[in-house]
Amino acid sequence: MLSYEPHDSLAHRLDPRAKLAVQVGFALAAFAHTTPRGLAILTALAGCVLAAARLSPIAALREARYALPFLVAGPAIAALTPGPPWIAASQAVVPALASYRVLVVLVVSVAYVRTTRVRDSRTAVQSLVPGRPGRFLGVGVALVFRFLPVLLADLSRTRTAMRARLGSERGLIDRMEIVTSAGVRRAFGRADRLGVALRARCFAWNPTLSRLRFARRDVAALCFAGGLVAWTLV
Amino acid sequence: MSAETGDVELVGDAAASNLARAALFAALIGAFAYVSFPNPVSPAPVTLQVLGVFLAGILLGPVWGGAACGLYLLAGALGAPVFAGGSAGLGVLVGPTAGYLWSYPFAAAAIGSVVHGGVSLTDPKAAGLARLVGAMVLGVVVIYPAEALKIAAGVGIVRSDAIAAAR
Repeated sequence: MLSYEPHDSLAHRLDPRAKLAVQVGFALAAFAHTTPRGLAILTALAGCVLAAARLSPIAALREARYALPFLVAGPAIAALTPGPPWIAASQAVVPALASYRVLVVLVVSVAYVRTTRVRDSRTAVQSLVPGRPGRFLGVGVALVFRFLPVLLADLSRTRTAMRARLGSERGLIDRMEIVTSAGVRRAFGRADRLGVALRARCFAWNPTLSRLRFARRDVAALCFAGGLVAWTLV
Repeated sequence: MSAETGDVELVGDAAASNLARAALFAALIGAFAYVSFPNPVSPAPVTLQVLGVFLAGILLGPVWGGAACGLYLLAGALGAPVFAGGSAGLGVLVGPTAGYLWSYPFAAAAIGSVVHGGVSLTDPKAAGLARLVGAMVLGVVVIYPAEALKIAAGVGIVRSDAIAAAR
């Protein structure tokens, strides 16, 4: 499971807003320059990002593995032709470049997730989106992080209980129904208790958050992001 | 000793409950991504994720159901491992399954507005079977063409291939 890992790398010390800007710049540049030359440059830059995060390329690719079947399927489907010779490699070039582009962007986003604390991400959201919408998003994101493991444990207990009672002999739809209804029931139970607890503790729109400050290294990261965006427009 | 409370702006009771429900539902959609059942037809296993999106629209209504799906996407973009296969990050939102993901808030809002007959919340049990089925068909219509168009635009293959791949 992809998550934050403590370290003292350069990327860990950067401001989360600067890192988000780099990610957005990277995605824009990758979509604007889906050429062998553009992707070669972006690969080198992604290598620099991984080095700044002290993350090995193999570890980053392992985190992006779920996407690999989809990325291979695109070029593979495009290469098939209805008649002999059945496979036309030239048709697969553009989809292969597009797939590779996605892989590079995924690797950079893995570096962000590995190097940014949840609390800092939440603060970044609230400082980027003003007013109550930003606060709603900040609180909501923090609650999703907090409750994901709890709800996963609920679902896995339901499945274990079902298996122990030979529920695995039931049909697929039956099993899905049992797991879903138990999951929804427990989630609503938890949400109602959480709602009462929030009100009881004077849940406010303006809580105290960790303080974010741009440092000199963040200016360098922002310039990097700005450079990527400018390159998109060239 | 006194506490300074002059600046505290309390969240209303209804908003606090709805926020808790939307956040918990977003986490539930993420948790559903981990519950996979083997699919005899395709190499990709069946997950309960899309069902979670449908239920968000039905149970929370168009506004909070859509908000729950929006929270799910944002939390995933910021690093909660809620996308398929426990993945996370902004890259997934431009990745190969991005079309499905971006359509979730719209699908939940569309389903919610059909089931509840507008923006205000009603009891979903009061909605007839035809209305529920119609709402979910609408959800499928929103989610799957979005993915086909995304594959066509993003991976760069012709649209008929993309629609075949999305099936």
